[in-house]
Amino acid sequence: MTDLIRLEHKKLWSRRSTKISVLLCFLYVVVIVNILCFQWFSFGSSGDHTSSFGNHFDGYTMIRDSKEYSRTFGGELTDETLQRMVKEYQDMAAADLDREQQLTDRPKIDSWLEQLYPELRDNSTYYTMITYADPEKLTGFYERRTQALEDFLEISEQTGAERAYLLQMEEKVEKPFSYEFLEGWSNILTSMTAELGTVMALFLAVVLSPLFSGEWRDNTSPLLLTTRYGWEKIARAKIITGLLFTTELFLLLAAGGLIAQSFYLGWSGWDMPIQMIKLIAVAPMNMLQAEIYEYGFTLLGALGYTGIILLISAAVKNNMFALIFSLAAVYLPPVISRYLPYGLQKALDLLPLVGSPTDIFRTNTFCLFGKYIWSPYLLITVPILIGLLCAPFAVRKWSRRMKK
Amino acid sequence: MELSLDRLTKHYGSKIAVDHVSADLKPGVYGLLGANGAGKTTLMRMLCAILESTSGEVLFDGEEVTAMGAAYRDLLGYLPQDFGYYPNYTAEEFLRYIAALKGLPREKARKKTRALLEMTGLSHAARKKLKTFSGGMKQRVGIAQALLNDPKILILDEPTAGLDPKERVRFRNLIADYAENRIVILSTHIVSDIEAIADKVFLMKKGKFILEGTVPELILHAQNKIWELSVPQKEFRRWQDTVTVANLRHEGSQVILRIVSDTKPAEAAVPCRATLEDLYLYYFGKENSYD
Repeated sequence: MTDLIRLEHKKLWSRRSTKISVLLCFLYVVVIVNILCFQWFSFGSSGDHTSSFGNHFDGYTMIRDSKEYSRTFGGELTDETLQRMVKEYQDMAAADLDREQQLTDRPKIDSWLEQLYPELRDNSTYYTMITYADPEKLTGFYERRTQALEDFLEISEQTGAERAYLLQMEEKVEKPFSYEFLEGWSNILTSMTAELGTVMALFLAVVLSPLFSGEWRDNTSPLLLTTRYGWEKIARAKIITGLLFTTELFLLLAAGGLIAQSFYLGWSGWDMPIQMIKLIAVAPMNMLQAEIYEYGFTLLGALGYTGIILLISAAVKNNMFALIFSLAAVYLPPVISRYLPYGLQKALDLLPLVGSPTDIFRTNTFCLFGKYIWSPYLLITVPILIGLLCAPFAVRKWSRRMKK
Repeated sequence: MELSLDRLTKHYGSKIAVDHVSADLKPGVYGLLGANGAGKTTLMRMLCAILESTSGEVLFDGEEVTAMGAAYRDLLGYLPQDFGYYPNYTAEEFLRYIAALKGLPREKARKKTRALLEMTGLSHAARKKLKTFSGGMKQRVGIAQALLNDPKILILDEPTAGLDPKERVRFRNLIADYAENRIVILSTHIVSDIEAIADKVFLMKKGKFILEGTVPELILHAQNKIWELSVPQKEFRRWQDTVTVANLRHEGSQVILRIVSDTKPAEAAVPCRATLEDLYLYYFGKENSYD
């Protein structure tokens, strides 16, 4: 069996489409999404302020300076540090210190003010709150946060046992929050790592959809069927090869992403709570735990999706149909989801790579047999179970088709 | 060891591809001759147990082959017509892949692969990708893969297609050697291959065996039906349109025609000795092609 898997694996990697797909995927994820984002269009200092593509190519220096600046606040977010952050920003703005303003965590601080201090909002101006809010009035940060969370649950009609369950989770979140430069972690957790699965899905479909269906094009079925282990052993080898390839692609992309992250951002601030990115998140998780979750979500989702691709590939004889159906399995549900009832939308999220790892920032739950479960628990486990369930069906389907 | 075909029948909708075919095959070489669409490939696929019959059965030593499953496939070597291969594999990798599917242990597979590459004259190209191979080389790889498990039953569909004359002779010798204590069934459009090595030949038409026997026995059926006639050049076209011409050669202003006909085609025609090819033309001469 190992010989067969080795050869099947080599067969997959020897295809030109595999090599091109992996190269494109790597270039997109590691070079564009990670390196260029860090160095240029997300973290580079603003040039002409018209778009992030007008940024300077100085992300590495800007990140270092931002981190150094964030450390002047003593590592904790309290009323006092928030007031200082806002005041210093306003002083910089008054002195027209453009570069210094870019070193602050302005977008995040602004979002906190918008959410927790709505009474300070001046609707007559288009300026953001950080530029005019009176720092002296920024008090009671944690109490206001608790109130905002409770209000949100109320508006979302999350009451009774569900509300109790979520608030119980929230109680475990340590306060006051530790603070360091936030924008880097925010980008990683809400964009770079979070969207890795969506990108991988495209390339996995291209590479893996012909794994079974390609045998029809190669006209090998009469040959394979007359061998002792023809349809079953080869099907198992193909499934293991598919899972192996998915793991390899994931490791390649994750390694590239992590190396870029280490180089540009480093790991300091790993112990900040995720509430720094989204205030009303309830999960007692820090940044590092969240990143591990997101990578785990992507890997398990990709493996689950691999199972679906292989089932489709085994069920159809045409490579193009196998590719179209495989892509539809991951990209169609989000499109049709908006037309479905909320319960079905949530159910669709459980399909591999359809849901989002950013649910760790939300208060979504599933109710199973009257018991509430925080959605990320199911979003990370159900997709791989779906994929594993698909595997035996793929073997059966292929065996039957081959015999026809 | 005996492979029996018992009233084997295959329908595709209303079309009958194989029609109540029966035969008992003991060790030896069996040739299958028939025109396109005669049902040869369908029959071979049923013999390989990869196509279910509509009725009838294939028995190996009295046991139904589909019921034998893997035990039957262990005995089987099969070269399909236009066999599929993986273009990015080398010849060695392809054989190792098929060996793994046939359940050969790794070391045995390695040795057997080398031996078969040697035997088929492909040692020098063992590490070259199959997509760079000529048609004849690919065919030799196909023959090698069929022999990997030392099959007791070897079924070859058009094995000599694409082989040059030297390779065909090598193949014939190989099969003749191999057939001892084994059942070899081959179909080919090259009648001379069957003539050279088949112990028994089946002539297949419209899904049925219309004739079977040794080559001399079969040739008897064409006896007194083969004629030689010398005609002027200008009349040659007319003769070609009206009778089955097996061969022709030019001699001065005359053309010597070899004609297949039940009756004497002209007063000047003289009977001559029949061959298997003549027999084939006698039965399939009006059909477009004879593969």
